[in-house]
Amino acid sequence: MPEVDPLARNNVHITGNPDGRTIMFAHGFGGTQDSWRFVVPAFENDFRIVLFDQMGAGASDLSLYDRAKYDSLYGYADDVLEIIEALDLHDVIYVGHSVAGMMGLLAANRRPELFSRLVLLGPSPRYIDADGYAGGFSQAAIEDLLLSLDSNYLSFSVTIGSVLMGNPERPELSESLTQIISSQDQSITAQFARATFLSDNRRDLPDVTTPTLILQSYEDNIAGPEVGEYVHQHIRGSELRQMNSRGHVPNLSAPDEVSRHILEYLG
Amino acid sequence: MTALADESADSALDKAPCGLLVTDPDDVVIRANSTFLRWTGYRREQVIGRLFHDLLDAGGQAFYDSRFRDELWSRKELREIVLQLVRANGQTMPIMLNAEMVMEEGSPAGVRLAIFDVRNRQDFEREMLIAKRQAEASEASVRILQRAADRFVTASSEEELFELVAAVAQDAFAASEVAVVRYQSETEWETVRGIHLRELLAEVRGSRAVDHNLTADEVLVIPDIERAYELSDDLGDRFRAARAAAFSSVSISDETTVIGSFACLYGRPRTFDSGTLELHRALAKQMGLAFSRVRFQERLSDLASRDQVTGVATRGFIDSHAESIFEAARRDNTSVSHIFLDLDGFKAVNDNLGHRPGDMVLKTVADRIRGAVRSQDIVGRFGGDEFLIVCRDADEHVATAIAERIARAIAAPMEGIPVSMSVTASIGVAVYVPGEGTDVSAETLTRRADAAMYESKRASGNTVTLAA
Repeated sequence: MPEVDPLARNNVHITGNPDGRTIMFAHGFGGTQDSWRFVVPAFENDFRIVLFDQMGAGASDLSLYDRAKYDSLYGYADDVLEIIEALDLHDVIYVGHSVAGMMGLLAANRRPELFSRLVLLGPSPRYIDADGYAGGFSQAAIEDLLLSLDSNYLSFSVTIGSVLMGNPERPELSESLTQIISSQDQSITAQFARATFLSDNRRDLPDVTTPTLILQSYEDNIAGPEVGEYVHQHIRGSELRQMNSRGHVPNLSAPDEVSRHILEYLG
Repeated sequence: MTALADESADSALDKAPCGLLVTDPDDVVIRANSTFLRWTGYRREQVIGRLFHDLLDAGGQAFYDSRFRDELWSRKELREIVLQLVRANGQTMPIMLNAEMVMEEGSPAGVRLAIFDVRNRQDFEREMLIAKRQAEASEASVRILQRAADRFVTASSEEELFELVAAVAQDAFAASEVAVVRYQSETEWETVRGIHLRELLAEVRGSRAVDHNLTADEVLVIPDIERAYELSDDLGDRFRAARAAAFSSVSISDETTVIGSFACLYGRPRTFDSGTLELHRALAKQMGLAFSRVRFQERLSDLASRDQVTGVATRGFIDSHAESIFEAARRDNTSVSHIFLDLDGFKAVNDNLGHRPGDMVLKTVADRIRGAVRSQDIVGRFGGDEFLIVCRDADEHVATAIAERIARAIAAPMEGIPVSMSVTASIGVAVYVPGEGTDVSAETLTRRADAAMYESKRASGNTVTLAA
């Protein structure tokens, strides 16, 4: 097998201050590294910033898609570790939105020596309700959600979106339409949705040894306050901060508040 | 002038044949037109001040939060999004939605939403989507099975097959890891692929998972980590150490014995629907056939079981093998066919050209038969210029087609043999149909094929006859 370059595979970009502490931003389901664009400026002076696209999103290299690897969050967690190793990073501050929070948590549990802090923005270890656990969704609601995602695939394809937006920084996306609307693309989106919404990482929380901050919007219907509280209760020594932002994507809707909390936490 | 032309713009929009909403950047509804209220049955004050999100059904809310908001903020507009509204009476209403973000001085000032009633087509489209998913899944299964069959044919040793079993299972089920086990006996087994999973597999066996109703039609499944912990704490811990959240396993058998099994590990909980279970079974069956073929070939390399002139099985070897194939067919309720073949014109070759060319003809015939049969069919020399071919899973149509292919292949000219002495084959085919009486055996099937062969002979040769 040819050597895979994780930096090309995940479209890794490094900005900010090369001498600063390293902070890595990981986007969630449905996003790209652009989802951090309003948050990143607050860190540019003092931090070295690592941005990347999750496999299957943005300008990641779909030719390296591996159904077995990316069937669960472990595959995405391994990508995080591979990027960190390729850049020879240490003491990484990892900020993960939504499902990327769990990915970073799994990565930090596997290689705790590489991480100095975890920041989980709207995390959920399990979306589906279970005995004694309120994830926020019934099994049927999640099935409905997966169906909605499938129905709306054409309107939501990340690559189509980028093309329609006319992203000049990514000329490689201006390919033929048939290539863009490939069935591979669709099945990747569908598999990412399943890895995200069908996972159960509750048992991984107590294993965390990396100092962790949980940022919780006061109204978040994907990962509600009680879920944030659960995560906080199960990660020893973690800090939970309630934000005034509404919704599940505060990195877009309340970026200043998100940056402020992270900066305060990092001191 | 009609009343319509008199209408103010506001009033026209209020009664437009689509629902119109405006929200602030935080998703709070600040305006709603009358059409929207009429469709949903809400009073204006029930809608204004509410989150648009809260007007959607649970799946729609999840979709809206996970995907819609992020995309809208990135792209500023979205088209043709299919969602479900919850009406005042609790019923859902399928809608199609266009959304546009309004920017003021570079910042989001609100969102305009146009909502179309798609009640009439939505249910239909949902059904279509579900049907399409199912069709795609079964199509994918067929593709996986075809590809697997192509790959198994290339294996010439058990070692290669074990390797292929692991690779094929991983591809088929997107498993994070696959372990393959070989049985030496009922109680003795060794892990031949995924050796680091040995203890986990032993724990699954030891946990008597089989007794916990975890087998669904021959496939053992552990759908999530909680079930693993229910079986035993040790098993749960081993699952976690292997980063496994689910497990499935099925055994692989040839005609008579269990050869081994494969086990898949998954990184997330899995539900195993009937199609997935069926694919497990179908692959295991293919694997069993492939092992059977390879074992036959391996034993054939033993000089005692191979005919020295032609390289195919000896009579003794094919007889005993035919018996186990027949017993398996009876057990599994599948068909099996025997094809009996006697050469026409061989005596003339032997008498006129001598033994060496005679042997050459026999060798050529054997090679041509092997080229005409399927990979799972076995070929033996019955003695003299007689051959027996045993075809599992072959009904009368399949078996006749194979026999006709053989006849055509043999009838082609042979190098060094004058056209006047051309060799052809008289062929008889006998088929065991599932459910036939217990008096039938491999031996009687061969006898019936032999008798049918004589019919072909009497009809002046180069013919295929199906035993009555």
